[in-house]
Amino acid sequence: MEQFTFIIKDKNGMHARPAGAVANCAKKYKSDIKIYKNEKEANAKRLLSLMSLGATYNSEIVIKIEGEDEKEALTDIKNVLSENLSEG
Amino acid sequence: MKIYSGTGIGTKKTSGVLRFYKSDGQSAYKNNFTTCENELKRLELAIKEVKKALEKMHKRAKSHIGDEEAKIFEIHLMLLEDEDLMETAHLEISQGMCAENAVLEASDKYCKMLKALNDEYLSERAKDIKDIASQLLNVLSGKDVSESIHTSPYILVAEDLTPSQTVMLDKDMILGFVTFFGTPSSHTAILARAMGIPALVGVGDIDMEHDGEFCLLDSEKGELIVNPTDNEIELFKEREKEENRIAKEHESYLRSLINKPAISKNGHRVLIYANIGSEKEAEGALLNGAEGIGLLRSEMMYLSLDRYPTEDELYYAYKEAVTEMKGRRVIIRTLDIGADKQIPYFNIQKEENPALGYRGVRICLDRIDVFKTQLRAILRASAFGKASIMLPMIVSENEIVKCRELLEECKNELFEENYAFDSKIELGIMIETPASAVMSDVLAKHVSFFSVGTNDLTQYTLAVDRQNPKVSHIGEENREPILRLIGYASEQIHKNGGWIGICGELGADLTLTQRFVDMKIDELSVSSPYLLGVRKRVGECE
Repeated sequence: MEQFTFIIKDKNGMHARPAGAVANCAKKYKSDIKIYKNEKEANAKRLLSLMSLGATYNSEIVIKIEGEDEKEALTDIKNVLSENLSEG
Repeated sequence: MKIYSGTGIGTKKTSGVLRFYKSDGQSAYKNNFTTCENELKRLELAIKEVKKALEKMHKRAKSHIGDEEAKIFEIHLMLLEDEDLMETAHLEISQGMCAENAVLEASDKYCKMLKALNDEYLSERAKDIKDIASQLLNVLSGKDVSESIHTSPYILVAEDLTPSQTVMLDKDMILGFVTFFGTPSSHTAILARAMGIPALVGVGDIDMEHDGEFCLLDSEKGELIVNPTDNEIELFKEREKEENRIAKEHESYLRSLINKPAISKNGHRVLIYANIGSEKEAEGALLNGAEGIGLLRSEMMYLSLDRYPTEDELYYAYKEAVTEMKGRRVIIRTLDIGADKQIPYFNIQKEENPALGYRGVRICLDRIDVFKTQLRAILRASAFGKASIMLPMIVSENEIVKCRELLEECKNELFEENYAFDSKIELGIMIETPASAVMSDVLAKHVSFFSVGTNDLTQYTLAVDRQNPKVSHIGEENREPILRLIGYASEQIHKNGGWIGICGELGADLTLTQRFVDMKIDELSVSSPYLLGVRKRVGECE
């Protein structure tokens, strides 16, 4: 299993557009991709699930990836997060 | 004539005819459940139909409005195919609900979930789900999504507008928006800003009878006047004209003053600095000709988190401000919480008299780790320009000595760790208490500059609680004691080789500028919109 943490630096948090980008990226992989914020869990392949996390500005989220293509998924998800949820 | 008020978006004015946007309300449908198979089939077909329509709208938005606006339809397409939403709808159908009600139930469930997050932005997105749901319902119940056609410009009134509704509107015909509901982050508000037209949101119910009536919309005042009198129209038009003229004049005047020092007629130079609440405001300060930052409040970063910020997080913020100001002085005030600014994770006990209690440097000298983290961040940022440190709530020499020791400790650590920093970084203090003003000759031996926080100085000199409306007028009526304290401090500080600025509200009070020039105040720090006015006033002083 692969795992990493990320701090959301977009002032609007995990809103619709970045969540859409994350979901689109996650859907490309066979692995099970979950995102956690505190005790809440979201399926990274599902837009509404991601939006319902309530991951706001400066929230720390944990991403856990498990499956045959977890290594590739890890790099890709990391990139999408930093492209879409970093400052700005 | 009837006046409505709401939250204005932007500062513009417009006038024109009101038109109501007509949309169907979403209420529960009569349960027309046939068979599970049939209802699922109907839902599937409706999704296909809406998908086609959305793809069309996406294209139209892309060519007519822009990529940003078009992106919302990509999101809608994703929502339409969202497994969570559809699973819920399928579940409802399998339990004997017709497709219409299943869609309503599913959208309700997720709208509630998003609203429960208590995030203004995400709550607004609940509308995107409703938007999708109402399109599905329209198809399911055999209605057409039609476009309202208008041939002359108008002000659009609606309960609230969803992206699929606004994309079908002819933007050239819209002078402004008025909505019953909504907030500054509603879709309507975002659209209004993007289009550069005025809007008024959260107005509450507007009588449908006003459809087609002439009105005046003033987003700065947050006011909509329906059926204004001729007199009012004339006044409104005049103000509109005047505002446009002033805006233009101000703009060109601003340009002419930027980069010119503010010097009074008798040759006293005053530095005009800006007060900012976060590094993001530095750009605006520069655009208004700030010669430096007289007060960078550092509380925002701490208030916006639910944990202590890290050294790196603080460092990046300060570095941004210092870099943006390109070598101009940036005075960073160390954390000033307590009193009216409380932060839950600091776990500060409730006090009888918080203003006279645990606040500012008093907390920092107890929570040395937190304080040192901030000092280290400022020091590291000082490598990129000219940063200065300012301590709040100082009443004694002893406090400065302690802070200075910690500062030296931080410098030594950073030196050991090979970080670059300005080893001669200036240290200054706020004058917020009568004690610091009266003792300024002694304190001046320990620091290079002072800045007067006039709000707190007023509060502590006159024993007037800033937050208490019953007594706050006493502060406004008794400026003289405050001014005398500032005058005394200025004299003592100059005698001892330091300099003094004012970063409180009184700094922007143009009726006092002459007095400050007479006292030889070296710097006035005000928020960006006042920079130009103060700069101009200093030049007029004797």
